Amino acid sequence: MEKNNTSKDSIKILNRRSFIILTIGLFLSLIVVIRLFSLQILNFGFYKKKSVENKVSVKATPPLRGDIYDTTKKLLAGNSSSYEFVIYKNLNKNYQKEIEKLNSLLSLNLNLDEINKKLYKFNQYSAFKITSASWEQIVSFEKNKFLFTSIKIIELKKRYYPYKNLSQIIGYLGRSNDSLDLYNKGVFHLEKSHDDLLKGKPGKIFNEVNSKGKIIREISIEEPIKGKDLNLTINLDLQNYCQSLLPKNKKGSIVIIDKSDGSILSMNSNPTFDAQVFEDRKNKEINNLLNDESKPLFNRAFSGFYPPGSVFKPIPALLGLQNNLINENTEIFCKGHSSLKDRNYYCWKKRGHGKVNLKKAIRESCDVYFYELAKKTDINDLSALATNLGLNQKYELGLSNSQSGLVPNKKWKRAYLDESWYQGETLITCIGQGYNLTSPLQLANLYSAILNGGKYPLPRINKESDIIYSGKSFNINYQNILLESLMAVVQEPTGTAFKLNNLHPKYVKIGGKTGTSQVIRIKEEEREDDLYKTKDVDDRFKDHSVFVGYAPLDNPKFIASVIIENGGSGSSVAAPIAHNALNFAYNLDV
Amino acid sequence: MFKEIKSLFEINWIYIFLLLIIFWIGEINLYSAANGSLDPWAMNQLKRFIIFLPIFFFIIMLQPKFIFNIADILLFLVAIGLILTLFFGYTGMGAKRWIRVAGFNFQTSEFAKIALILFMAKYFHKLNAEKTIGFIKALIPLIISFIFFLLVAIQPDLGTAVIILILGLISIFYAGINLIYPIISLVGVALASPFLWTLLKPYQQNRIKIFLNPDLDPLGKGYHIIQSKIAIGSGGKNGNGFLGGSQSSLDFLPEKETDFVFAIFSEQFGFTGSMIVIALFLILFLIPIIKSFKLTQVFNKLMLFVLSFKIFFEFLINISMTIGLVPVVGVALPFMSYGGSSLLSNLIICALLLNFMSITEKKRMFS
Repeated sequence: MEKNNTSKDSIKILNRRSFIILTIGLFLSLIVVIRLFSLQILNFGFYKKKSVENKVSVKATPPLRGDIYDTTKKLLAGNSSSYEFVIYKNLNKNYQKEIEKLNSLLSLNLNLDEINKKLYKFNQYSAFKITSASWEQIVSFEKNKFLFTSIKIIELKKRYYPYKNLSQIIGYLGRSNDSLDLYNKGVFHLEKSHDDLLKGKPGKIFNEVNSKGKIIREISIEEPIKGKDLNLTINLDLQNYCQSLLPKNKKGSIVIIDKSDGSILSMNSNPTFDAQVFEDRKNKEINNLLNDESKPLFNRAFSGFYPPGSVFKPIPALLGLQNNLINENTEIFCKGHSSLKDRNYYCWKKRGHGKVNLKKAIRESCDVYFYELAKKTDINDLSALATNLGLNQKYELGLSNSQSGLVPNKKWKRAYLDESWYQGETLITCIGQGYNLTSPLQLANLYSAILNGGKYPLPRINKESDIIYSGKSFNINYQNILLESLMAVVQEPTGTAFKLNNLHPKYVKIGGKTGTSQVIRIKEEEREDDLYKTKDVDDRFKDHSVFVGYAPLDNPKFIASVIIENGGSGSSVAAPIAHNALNFAYNLDV
Repeated sequence: MFKEIKSLFEINWIYIFLLLIIFWIGEINLYSAANGSLDPWAMNQLKRFIIFLPIFFFIIMLQPKFIFNIADILLFLVAIGLILTLFFGYTGMGAKRWIRVAGFNFQTSEFAKIALILFMAKYFHKLNAEKTIGFIKALIPLIISFIFFLLVAIQPDLGTAVIILILGLISIFYAGINLIYPIISLVGVALASPFLWTLLKPYQQNRIKIFLNPDLDPLGKGYHIIQSKIAIGSGGKNGNGFLGGSQSSLDFLPEKETDFVFAIFSEQFGFTGSMIVIALFLILFLIPIIKSFKLTQVFNKLMLFVLSFKIFFEFLINISMTIGLVPVVGVALPFMSYGGSSLLSNLIICALLLNFMSITEKKRMFS
């Protein structure tokens, strides 16, 4: 072998080394192929999903909330659009200049310092509300749109409450504490309790976005589904009329129900509030509402509990009849007071009523008759009967702050006051004072129970809800006695509400019962001293005026329950209001 | 200096054809990387290709003897270039990699690879060893490889530096160094690696950790590799179709025109497309290798083998990067990544390969 030529051995070595390197190279290629196979074939689904997640962003679109209507399909709560000027800081570095421009263009008189201060801390990608936009402002903004890059107009769907006096039934919406809820939800009254029905289903917009989150195109849209409508038993005309009947400067409530099916036809409370301020986020007004001592957020019809006064008397009367403690003709003598264990219990009429039977006792609201009856009455029986007639319980209406009130019994007193029951307390309870607490709605329901003969439809406010009956029927003779007495209250000359006939002779004839709910427990001496006279006391300590009535007399359908706080006697204040309301309802023929 | 014109017809046209197909696939890919636009990449790359064609044919026509003769000078020039780059080069992507010559920016390290391989071929050819080579005789190539490694590593461009070192070591291995030394080195590195780990700075350790588990830093260093794997994986069997890759079109893939072109390709054409590209590169790799077996002169054999290996090796490393097999080190995909230096250096390599594939060896070509 020539010296200058490469030896055969050396070529062999080189070729052998080639094979080693080639083998390693092909082995590495194989690993790459296996890895690709694993990524693209075996784990394709996983990466495909990741890829879709990368590029698809889902944006929820709010659904329209269901409307709320009255029984005649008039809109009580609906949806409206409003517009706002908003700014996105990220769209223009000199965003402050743009706000100044907007301010001078539309003469908005904005507090620029305050806005800039808030805006300074605000997320640059989110819409910051500058101010709400009127139609004229939108038009002139659009004409000068080229001046603005970071200011936009957005449309907001808002809840719309046209009638202020229904806020205490319908309620309002608020921010949800649950982060899963994208939108405002009902936080008060029917808006809260019927939220699932009303809220609807949000739509979804699937957008394709790039790596910076910019929307490239719309992929698909799932339209939002509007919530279901809610139809109420409320009659808007009656509701408005009743609100006008309540004295502006007095707190009070009036409830009208239909005895035949328990429908609440109107339910007013004074003072009331405007739910729109919550929807419009008017914080100052909201604060005023929350701090108002007259509690305008408080619906007195079902959250206001008062001693019922004499309107309670049909219950001990019925109990007396049922337990044979009295009969229609049982007479007692009222000399102005009754005594039990050297303590005197007084009738409202100091001179006394003389000989009194049941009908006269109700007609003229004789207290002594019921004191005498109470002496034979077991408080537990009374409480049980009251519960049976709809007191002492709350109704599932979906209204916030509903309470059950109280008709006391021995067990209750032991549990809450840790004291045993005194018979004297039964006396006070039988005339509707003492521990007794009832709401105007409960009292309306009590009279519905009496008019229905014991088995009565529970109050309802959702027109589509089922009619549920409650209570036990009682002897029809007893019902006749009670109704005759209640009729006499208004129709007979000595009745406590007879003057209604002179006031409005042409109005529908009604029956009912007056009541006076004591605000402070007057000491016996004061009563005796004659110090206690309605006209002399400070307004604050005046009695609440109560009346529950029904119409028409021959075939009762409407029941009105009225309370005017510190209004004085039932006959002079509450009764005319109830008569007016019943007459209106009767002529409305709902 | 030049071959006769007629030798132009004797070159391996299949190889050129293959090269054109791969380049064309790269062009289509750059077009799709720009969401169906020739701008900014596909057209530019095509212009470069056309500009480089004269250089390509110029090298094909050079006399092998001439190339053999200038190998040392090239090495010297490239070494100067690397040093100048360190002082006068301008910075891009965090490293001084480019030097400006005649209005063009050259990434000197790309050309260092070629010069080093040619030098190796000439050195071992001249060594004319009859048996395996001892450590002493491999010392000069080893030192030069390490010098080049260091010059590039301090730019800093660790990826390219490691490739240069590997190419140098492969050359020495191919030339027939006694197997005992590579084995000792491998065992030594393996034993020393825990110690080397502690020598690494915390951020370097961090990079390796993130490479091993990209989810440690999904929005930072791990982002590239996560998005690249999503692109490739979502391609599936047959891909999302031409221009159908959302990872690419919606900009989820960073550096999609350079390091991650393969992800774009694979997202569009799936496993099938990937296999076709791998097959094309494999054939491109093997054609000069097969020729190298038939040749007998060390210079010819070594430069054919290692130069061809260089293209395939970079191809493998780049793909491995995009599928998370090796860390993201900034190695371009030959003929498919956007970039002038990589294209030019690989075209030069192909021209050299074509040149030497067409030679008929006389008894002793070089001395």
